[in-house]
Amino acid sequence: MVESLVRRKSGTNGTTIVVGRTSEAEKIDRRDRGEKEVTKAARSLISNFLHGGEGTGAAGQSGLNLVLFYVNHAILLAIFFLISIYKNVEFVYHRVMLKFLTLAYYPNKTPQLIREDVTKLNKIPRRISCILNLKYEDDENGGIDGLVNDISELAAWSLSAGIPSLSVYEYSGAVSDHLQQLCRSISKTLSVYFGSDSMPSYCVRVPHTNTLIYNINTENPTSQAPPEKVDLEITLLSRVDGKPTIVELTKTMSELVNKELAVNDITVDLIDEELVELVGKEPDLLVSFGPCLDLQDYPPWHIRLSEIYWEQDNLDVNYAVFVRALQQYSNCKINVGK
Amino acid sequence: MAGQGKTNLISLNGILGLISSFPLITYILEFLKDLVINMMKTAPVPKHIALIMDGNRRYAKSKKLALSEGHSAGADSLIQVLNTCYKLGVAHVTIYAFSIENFNRSQEEVETLFGLLRNRLSLLADNEDSYARINKIKVRIVGNKSLIPEDILQDLEAIEAKTNNLESYRVLNVCFPYTSRDDIAHSVRTISDKVAHDIIRSSDITLETLNENMYMGADTPPLDILVRTSGHTRLSDFMLWQANDRCVIEFVDVLWPDFKFLNIVSVILKWSYYRTLEMEEGYHTTSGTKEKKISSPDIYANLPPPPPLASVTQR
Repeated sequence: MVESLVRRKSGTNGTTIVVGRTSEAEKIDRRDRGEKEVTKAARSLISNFLHGGEGTGAAGQSGLNLVLFYVNHAILLAIFFLISIYKNVEFVYHRVMLKFLTLAYYPNKTPQLIREDVTKLNKIPRRISCILNLKYEDDENGGIDGLVNDISELAAWSLSAGIPSLSVYEYSGAVSDHLQQLCRSISKTLSVYFGSDSMPSYCVRVPHTNTLIYNINTENPTSQAPPEKVDLEITLLSRVDGKPTIVELTKTMSELVNKELAVNDITVDLIDEELVELVGKEPDLLVSFGPCLDLQDYPPWHIRLSEIYWEQDNLDVNYAVFVRALQQYSNCKINVGK
Repeated sequence: MAGQGKTNLISLNGILGLISSFPLITYILEFLKDLVINMMKTAPVPKHIALIMDGNRRYAKSKKLALSEGHSAGADSLIQVLNTCYKLGVAHVTIYAFSIENFNRSQEEVETLFGLLRNRLSLLADNEDSYARINKIKVRIVGNKSLIPEDILQDLEAIEAKTNNLESYRVLNVCFPYTSRDDIAHSVRTISDKVAHDIIRSSDITLETLNENMYMGADTPPLDILVRTSGHTRLSDFMLWQANDRCVIEFVDVLWPDFKFLNIVSVILKWSYYRTLEMEEGYHTTSGTKEKKISSPDIYANLPPPPPLASVTQR
């Protein structure tokens, strides 16, 4: 219901707030659900432990079990304490490493430097996909502006590296309501990287709302017609492109059964064809710019063989992570089923 | 020099192996394992773990063993991991035994793999006092059964029937031959079939409906941990639908035959550590956001009332 509403209304300025609110509410709802699960789990934990053993009848036994439970739990908490110290040390180590890598791999807004990093590799992905996080408005590089910045940088890096297709996944899909701002920012970043005269062409696609925007060169506005070949295709994905799209597809297919479609015609290939049409092709490399690997409901159909990369304790979109992801991809062996 | 170092290492391992095979030492080791498991039971325990057991062939190659020995070393490792999981209270374990893509391998290897799997499973479940029967484990074959040869399918179904008792509350899902895309397609097909036969209406289809019609069925809890050994960082068409949300994916850089008690325990311990933190944090963040929600709107309406309005032109 909410999705169809969003789909119908998206585009006008007033609905930005509506979309923002629904996604926010969804997130809170999701967290609440998680919390409820957790409290239930906690409650059942003790009873599980107490009644898990064989002798549940005798009262003395259950008393002993209770003591045992607390002793064991105390040991566990001590271990958790040690783990937390270890994790903190590890966090500092990772941050220092990342800082060092950021200095070592600084692109300096120069495509030649990026290309130089890439030419050392023996292969690069055709399609790269990045999972970004929407940060709080008050944080550094946060909110929609931060996301827009990150996407522009990613676009410039992909172009410099020679990757023709970039898709960006963000859980709530908030950027797709700020397409104009996004295009302006991308053009600006690209002109910084490549110079304003020879800016590479790009297009931005939002599969969910079925919009496609080509960059419009401000100097000769006559070139409104879509060019034959764009240098970079940017796709904006969000949660609705994942499981909800498959649900919608199931609805459509089930309505077509016995009319235009036999049940046995529904195969992996047919669904794949439809989903490529609806969402896009499977990325070769998936980079998560979060502190740990969390796929955040990324379209499940599309991560079949994708190489996944993330850097522990990394908090922002970072060129060093991007390049290291490409390096890992160039080292991986592609062998389906072997 | 390097060769010497290697032989030293092997002999050290040999000595350790010898020591650990003494009855007293084994007893102490088992006691320690039980202690660890009892300790971990007091924290949140995952309900469902999935395993991609990668690295048997590389293990055999690196140890210069025959391929079948690599596979049997993997099977030993699996028993240990299963034992640990079930003792801990993880009710559902899912293993990736054979992918549909594996049919691309040579005919000979496919047949040996099928034979191996059948033998292992029958060893696990055939007799009254076999592992699965004693531990009340229900073996389920998950995947596209139409691709299994007739004779093997019969044996597998016999094993399924034998272990499908009312009192068996632990489940071992053997994915054979399975790919996640096939799983999703199967779900879509089943639902469409149901719609065609007027069992459900197409407008009632939700995420839940799709979940329920997967090969694993509705009684399987959501996946908590997915482990892939041997260091590859991709999912290889396994549990895509189940693993992409609220699931911890662990890529362990250890070959599967080397994946033992300590490895699985550390994976689960890490999960329960973060789960415990989440529990603690859950209370703080949710209460925090609620306060934030209340305080944020409309400063203008909440201002104290101004002094009475007065104008110089008294009219």
